[in-house]
Amino acid sequence: MKLLKFILLFNLLISFSANALLEVNIIKSKEAAFPIVIAPFEVIGESKENIDIAKIIRDNLNRSGQFSALSTDALVKNQIDFNFWKEHKKDAVVFGKVEQVSSKVYNIYIYIYDVFSEKSLYQKKITVSNTGFRRIAHFLSDKIYYVLLGQRGSFNTRLSYVTVNENNRGGRTYRLQISDSDGFNPQTVVRSPNPILSPAWSKDQKKLAYVSFKNNRSEVFVITPFLNTIPTKLPKFDGIASSPSWHPSGKSIALTISKQGNKDIYLYNLKSKKLERLTSNISIDTEASFSPDGNSIAFTSDRTGQVQVYIKNLKSEKISRATFEGRYNAKPVFSPDGKDLALIHRVGKDYRVALLDIKSRDLTVMTQNKSDESPYFSPNGGMIIFSTNRDNKGILSIISLHNNQIVELLQKTGEVREPTWSNYSN
Amino acid sequence: MSKKILLLSSVIFLSSCASTNISELGDKFLDLINPSDAATEQADLGGEATLIAVDEFSDATISEIEELKALSDDALIEMAIAKGIDFDLDEDGNLKDRDALIEAIVEKSAELAISIREFENNGGTFTLYFTYDNSEIDDVSTRIIIEHANFMQDNPSANLRLEGHADERGTREYNLALGEDRALSVKEVLELYNLGNRIIVVSYGEESPVLVGSNEMAWEENRRVEFSYY
Repeated sequence: MKLLKFILLFNLLISFSANALLEVNIIKSKEAAFPIVIAPFEVIGESKENIDIAKIIRDNLNRSGQFSALSTDALVKNQIDFNFWKEHKKDAVVFGKVEQVSSKVYNIYIYIYDVFSEKSLYQKKITVSNTGFRRIAHFLSDKIYYVLLGQRGSFNTRLSYVTVNENNRGGRTYRLQISDSDGFNPQTVVRSPNPILSPAWSKDQKKLAYVSFKNNRSEVFVITPFLNTIPTKLPKFDGIASSPSWHPSGKSIALTISKQGNKDIYLYNLKSKKLERLTSNISIDTEASFSPDGNSIAFTSDRTGQVQVYIKNLKSEKISRATFEGRYNAKPVFSPDGKDLALIHRVGKDYRVALLDIKSRDLTVMTQNKSDESPYFSPNGGMIIFSTNRDNKGILSIISLHNNQIVELLQKTGEVREPTWSNYSN
Repeated sequence: MSKKILLLSSVIFLSSCASTNISELGDKFLDLINPSDAATEQADLGGEATLIAVDEFSDATISEIEELKALSDDALIEMAIAKGIDFDLDEDGNLKDRDALIEAIVEKSAELAISIREFENNGGTFTLYFTYDNSEIDDVSTRIIIEHANFMQDNPSANLRLEGHADERGTREYNLALGEDRALSVKEVLELYNLGNRIIVVSYGEESPVLVGSNEMAWEENRRVEFSYY
């Protein structure tokens, strides 16, 4: 009932949009994860905020596959019974408090203890406004991840994706949306009765490039989501323009342009408005993705008669084939360290996310699905988000590269597809 | 390369077979401008070209007129050129008689609509199908494309939009490219008839399926090129 009310309220405030993508089944969770306890945060005074910080943190850490984070019935305060947690085989205990300072200001305290050394690993007090609870929960998730693993987390980041719903006029409504990294807090950036595809974040995560059919043809647009600006269209090129990918500098965009029907990859400089040709081959070249250093692009081409992935070194101009296993490999994207590619690989009749070690050419198929699409790495490289099909419906799926655990995110109605992950927020 | 030569020769072969069809079709179109035809009779009686169109195509045409009225002179001129309609400009380069041009455009499109209906009634096919990850034109498709070439030659005001589509398998951007390749291979055949400048090609990739579903039947229906005249 409460949920219903909440949804109704949101209906009034923003155009229709469920409050969150729903998190569903976790597949193949293994016990190799780091066992910890995240106790419910103690509320001091009368907090009216109904956001459970500890739960958000637990869900985040569990989704990463690195942790097995449980709650506890007992309220954990400064006096920790380390022996109790040793008996229960927990390696770390996290607890915190929420203290109301004024009507809209809160102090949030967090404490991380190592169970075996019985030592404090981290403690901090953070002052936030009542609207910042979710953000703080993601920030603290990153802290815990760093304190316990020594690596950056990817929680205080954003996802963008496309949703498709049937509308009451018998057509479809496409939305380009942005949400928190857990699928909560979705916001619609662009809404259209015509297809929207291929959203791509700039590295400074201020801009999104995407393809829209609003003029009944495929065109590339750039929008600055948080400034409420009107999308700007890249100049009209002959034929299709599609598949945008930002250069890490943010100054140019690689895209596929069809000139006289020949689809090649070009680099469009947003400032000088100059177009530089990156590939020239009579077959299809598309789906470019920049390496993190901006020195190479990976792309899809059917130049040998089969759909395969190639890498072009932009300095030496050398193009080399990257995939040799199977007859269909497409939509490559570089890992943040530049060593791997995630891509779509056909196995029999199925299209699955696979991981390619560029140097050794080892290819690992990551899922058992029928039709995976659009893989994209989390900024720390620990997870891959992609879209797949469940019961004829597009959903998002996040796979942990640590233990192959999969968490699926879906909408109550309609489809979700083409996810991309923003870079770290600074 | 050999494939192209094969395609070219098969087109020439098939078009020579189809030459009788052209004259047959031509006769049918002659019927249209014959005074015995109902539509033209109305035109004579009504005196005003727009009126017949309104009678024939009521609401659709009224909104078409409204849409045309909202267009700039340049856009109207562009349309007139595409449809082969004559028009006069004043000294400033503006249209001398906008309303007359709009009437002429509406009349042309009404005529085209009748021709298209006739073409459909005579078994004209407006969708071509393809095999998986393939944009090659087979013999059956070539015959259909030749019928369209004949139709376009008989209807000089007809411009063609070829819309390429793919099934859901494989990645979206690759499918967008594949859809365009399919539409382009249809255009390639029509170019042999010098019709290239009257054709626009677009691709929707896998974004606009006819049949939603993850099975062979849906995939077959969705791997297609659609012909639409404007």
